[in-house]
Amino acid sequence: MSTALIGLKALLGGFAVVGFSLIGQAGHPKRFAGLFSAAPSVALASLAIAVIDKGASATLPYAQGMLIGSAGMVAYGLVSLVLMNRLHALVGSILAWLAWFAVAGGLYLVVGG
Amino acid sequence: MDGRQLRDDDLEPVGFDWSKLRKASPSELLIRFVFGGGIALVAAISGSVFGPRFGGLFLAFPAVLPATLTLIEKKEGTTKAWADASGGVLGAIGLAAFAFTALQLLRANPVVALALALLAWLLVSGGLYFLFRETGLFLKQDKLLTQSH
Repeated sequence: MSTALIGLKALLGGFAVVGFSLIGQAGHPKRFAGLFSAAPSVALASLAIAVIDKGASATLPYAQGMLIGSAGMVAYGLVSLVLMNRLHALVGSILAWLAWFAVAGGLYLVVGG
Repeated sequence: MDGRQLRDDDLEPVGFDWSKLRKASPSELLIRFVFGGGIALVAAISGSVFGPRFGGLFLAFPAVLPATLTLIEKKEGTTKAWADASGGVLGAIGLAAFAFTALQLLRANPVVALALALLAWLLVSGGLYFLFRETGLFLKQDKLLTQSH
């Protein structure tokens, strides 16, 4: 993949995150707004560019990886709730990344890379 | 966690107050842009180096959540940050629906596939939100995850 396309993925990914976070900021109540914290913003931008660059078939493995990653994201969410209650948002939500790595990484190894 | 505040949250009508966006601070948006762009970069580079399935993992990595939750906690308190994170868990289940739908339909028509995948995310996460809210599952989850504290 060319450097320009990688840069474009980063740029569009950043804009998509900002877009969904603005929708979340306008949303209420807070739990409903929270849905948009886990919106497929980076995924939408990255998959769209991958389709344009390499075609649909070559994009499928990205979506397969994302399906595994989303299991990690659910684990992350639950662990971050437990940790936030004890350690506050910053430390809890960063430490919870370990849950993502454990579940997404473990599943990736089991399912086969 | 303030149980009453969480109960009130589940009674508040669902909607969007777009006037709140006038208060959006440019520096907060820049932080989200940097983390979002950063994880897209990680996904693209690791996909090129280790293969697309590995890179795809990072399309569902919670890169921006720590910044979002910390900002909410700072401005509105820990309970509001908790409420946002509990919605995030359901959004994450919606992410799986997004990826699954994309996987099924990408080969047939990529544009329709991505549009329907987004719709799948919205329906699954939104549907679960209303289910959890109306049946009191949110409050049960709050109790379960905080009881040992």
